[in-house]
Amino acid sequence: MMKRKEAMAGYLFALPWLLGLLLFMLYPVGAAIYYSFCDFSMLKPPMRIGTDNYHDLMIDKVFWQSVGNTLIYAALAIPTSTLTALGMAMLLNTRVRFLPVFRTLFFLPSLIPQTSLAMLWLWIFNGEHGVLNVVVNAVLDHTINPIMTLFHHATIHGPNWLGDVSWTKPTMVVMGMWTVGNAMVIYLASLQDVPASLIEAADLDGAGPWQKTKNVTLPMISPIILFNVITGMIGALQVFAVPYIIFPDGSPARSGYFYTMYLFDNAFKFNKMGYACAMAWLMFLGILLLTGLSLWFSKKRVYYGGT
Amino acid sequence: MAITGVAMAACLFGLETVPLKHDKPGRIHIKYWEKWSGFEFDAIKKIVDDFNASQDKIFVDLLQTSEIENKAMFAISAGVPPDVAGLYSPNVPHYADERAIIPLDDFCRESGITQGDYIPAYWQLMTYKGKVFALPTTPASTALHYNRGLFREIGLDPNKPPETMEEMDAISDKMTVEKDGHIDRVGFTPSEPGWFNYAWGYYFGGRLWDGVSKITAMDPGNIDAYRWIESFGKRYGGSALTSFKSGLGQFDSPNNGFMDSKVGMEIQGVWMYNFVHTYGPQIDANAAPFPHPKDRPDLANTTYVDADVLCIPRGAAHPKEAWEFIRYVQRQEVMEKLCLLHKKNSPLTKISDHFWQVHANPWIHLFDSLARGKNAKVPARVGIWPEYQQELSASFDQALLLQGTPEQILQDVQDRMQAKLDGYSKRLKQREAEGL
Amino acid sequence: MIDADLRSMRSKAAVHRARMAVVYFVLIVMSVLFFAPFLWLVSTALKPLDQTMKMPPVWIPHPFEWHNFWDAISYGREQLGYIPFLVYARNTLLLCVVTVAGSVASNSVVAYSFARLKWPGRDLMFGVTLATMMVPFPVLMVPLFAFFRHLDWIGSYRPLWVPLWFGGAFNIFLLRQFFRTIPFDLTEAATIDGASQFRIFWDVIVPLSKPALAVVALFTFMSTWNDFLGPLLYLMDQKTFTLSLGLQFYQSQHNGTLWNLLMAATTCVILPVIVLFFFTQKQFIRGIALTGLK
Repeated sequence: MMKRKEAMAGYLFALPWLLGLLLFMLYPVGAAIYYSFCDFSMLKPPMRIGTDNYHDLMIDKVFWQSVGNTLIYAALAIPTSTLTALGMAMLLNTRVRFLPVFRTLFFLPSLIPQTSLAMLWLWIFNGEHGVLNVVVNAVLDHTINPIMTLFHHATIHGPNWLGDVSWTKPTMVVMGMWTVGNAMVIYLASLQDVPASLIEAADLDGAGPWQKTKNVTLPMISPIILFNVITGMIGALQVFAVPYIIFPDGSPARSGYFYTMYLFDNAFKFNKMGYACAMAWLMFLGILLLTGLSLWFSKKRVYYGGT
Repeated sequence: MAITGVAMAACLFGLETVPLKHDKPGRIHIKYWEKWSGFEFDAIKKIVDDFNASQDKIFVDLLQTSEIENKAMFAISAGVPPDVAGLYSPNVPHYADERAIIPLDDFCRESGITQGDYIPAYWQLMTYKGKVFALPTTPASTALHYNRGLFREIGLDPNKPPETMEEMDAISDKMTVEKDGHIDRVGFTPSEPGWFNYAWGYYFGGRLWDGVSKITAMDPGNIDAYRWIESFGKRYGGSALTSFKSGLGQFDSPNNGFMDSKVGMEIQGVWMYNFVHTYGPQIDANAAPFPHPKDRPDLANTTYVDADVLCIPRGAAHPKEAWEFIRYVQRQEVMEKLCLLHKKNSPLTKISDHFWQVHANPWIHLFDSLARGKNAKVPARVGIWPEYQQELSASFDQALLLQGTPEQILQDVQDRMQAKLDGYSKRLKQREAEGL
Repeated sequence: MIDADLRSMRSKAAVHRARMAVVYFVLIVMSVLFFAPFLWLVSTALKPLDQTMKMPPVWIPHPFEWHNFWDAISYGREQLGYIPFLVYARNTLLLCVVTVAGSVASNSVVAYSFARLKWPGRDLMFGVTLATMMVPFPVLMVPLFAFFRHLDWIGSYRPLWVPLWFGGAFNIFLLRQFFRTIPFDLTEAATIDGASQFRIFWDVIVPLSKPALAVVALFTFMSTWNDFLGPLLYLMDQKTFTLSLGLQFYQSQHNGTLWNLLMAATTCVILPVIVLFFFTQKQFIRGIALTGLK
């Protein structure tokens, strides 16, 4: 009796979410599959066209270009962000003074709205008046360039961040590094959870700092690293707001044209919503595949001894 | 608890009432979205005010809307369209095919508006697949604008603008100032202002499609055009040009590249005099027909024509009232007033003497004759234009950045756009067959 | 023997000091790098337009054009008949209040069910909940748009706040983890006394969970304030825009941008978020740490 009452209450309390799941998750996902086999827009009823959308995607050069751009970006962004966040967290974990100050400073950039981020960096990376290259060139001129001239090499300059086809993705990666605050805080918290006894034991065995990190710290926080890498990957593959503002239409030459941008354009600029749904489904399957691969790959490397 | 409840209710109320439409009693309010800003916006506002004052049944609410070619489609899809949309003429085919705007033939017939009222080049822009979908607000044609002061500075006769592309390229090379891959001043670059990057083929005699079903990206005229674009990449550096462009100031300000003497020659439309006069009175500018390739004298006086148009979206709340406004703008005296305020030419065949007498644009006869000439070229009236335009824009970048030969680049455009057009046409036919 | 120990201790201390010096050096360099963009943001915001384009760059503007901030806020006033920035701020705030209320209310109720009540299929459902975090938004984008279009909700704020009254996977997960840390004997006593589930929830769990609920409120506020794609899709009338979306208004449509005004406007959009963070630091950090715990 009690059990039944409890179960009833359980369903009742969970009702908002169960309804929400149905309306805003299951229904759209199912509808997306249906629409992907149709030609439709808001102004025309759906018309079934079989697998035409998928076939057209396979032969669409821009589709593949957007896939390539997105994968390259993810491949660059995930390691750099992870290393930056982890590195900074480890530095902060060395019992420095003013820890709250540093932590706040590094965390702040990850709070600001995407559009603000885009506008600010659009200005900093500006080809003519951008301040970034002034700083970069100043540093280069005082460090590497004298050596270059010594060897009769041409001097290096800061690149054309927003106008050079090969620099669009690195530009995004640099911006991404500025906003690692969120991940850094998670790493810091998990580092502080590593039992001191283990570190001390390693100390007594005469382990140096690098060995301690490699053999004790990293394995202990490996589940967190995995979690962050997977969420980071899912986020990187969906990147939209920042390139939408900084690289309109993916310019120059669609080097900054990412998957979600092409999806969005197909749905709302070209009125090909069925095509966009096919793209969405392929993205979903891709993410599932990559997540599965990451989990399988991590089986031997992630240590779940902690909690 | 009670306080939070009341506060919540207040916020919800606030959120709900913001997008609410209000209808003042008596007059019917119609929404008119127009793309212009600055004094061009003020001009259309005057016309709207005149209309509102001239009768008491309809009131037009004018709203300035940037990026209207996307926003209007979006709003129509969302079910909240304006009653009148001030689009660009290249948008019409796509909007018509997508059933986003309604045909105006019946309205035109009732009001006695016919094809003969308009200059042929402009009438072409109003129709699609045999139906009228738009009527003009202001027309435009394009020409070469050049800085006579800079001509003098490099020792050239300021009254002899280049007649051939080769001449113009040579002048540009003399005028361009660059060091270490950084451009301080450019004579001419096809990327400035960058509004018509898809139209360069016309100046070399190329066409974008055959008007029926075939994309003609590999047309020899287009290849010549892309070779010419590529030459700028080779001479000045595509990346350097992009960087240079990102440093130019706002278009409608004294920091405009042309007005700042940073760009010596550029392709611009009939509206340009207005902006030069207002923001760049210190420079001595002039307009001339855009040059033609030396070996193609038949292409002299080529001009890319365009028009700002008015359309009635599907689902508009008050289409009949919307038509009343559109019809008002088509009246000769109203159209001339608007075009005089914009300092543009008029799309109507009948022009009053008064129009020419008071026209403040000293270059107006040039633009008018170009528009009526045999080499007035209209944008491709193909339904997949948004995709085609994006494709041409990207391929323009590629040519400038030397990412492939013109043939390779245009072959890609050809293949991809033909596939898109074929699919598009196939589905339109299927819809017709299934009655969807 | 003692001498050798002393010597090794001293050298170890020296090595430690050297290491810490390196750490501090790197941290300070990173701090400068991280803070510099903010400085440049404010510096540009305070410049007259021609100074923004000077090369080499002017680091400290002179004079300080404080009126840039007012200019940025009132930009577009004549054209539109209202002050866009203030209107956008109002819209965003109203929306935040409604979404925060909905999020806290719905997520706490649902998390209670997952954490403290037993029902058949509960753990399976929870697994499904976690799995939904992997569904990328683009998959939902078009069908949701069509769904809301069908309801005639596009152009209103409803698509932005109504779904938040049904709960979200992330916050459910967060609260469920937290609720499970509350000792079960506290609630067992109340159950034996015959109290209804809602009573237990309201009188026992909620008061004890204020910190976690605060975190949910905070995260939801930030998420709504920063949201770009949602307003982009669902808001049509410029008068209804939120700050995040409205910032695009400062980008000129033709060519060129008023950088000083754009940066001033950007500063105004970022500032409330930073201020909020300073007042709620502890909750923030704790909340983020909570999400990392598996």
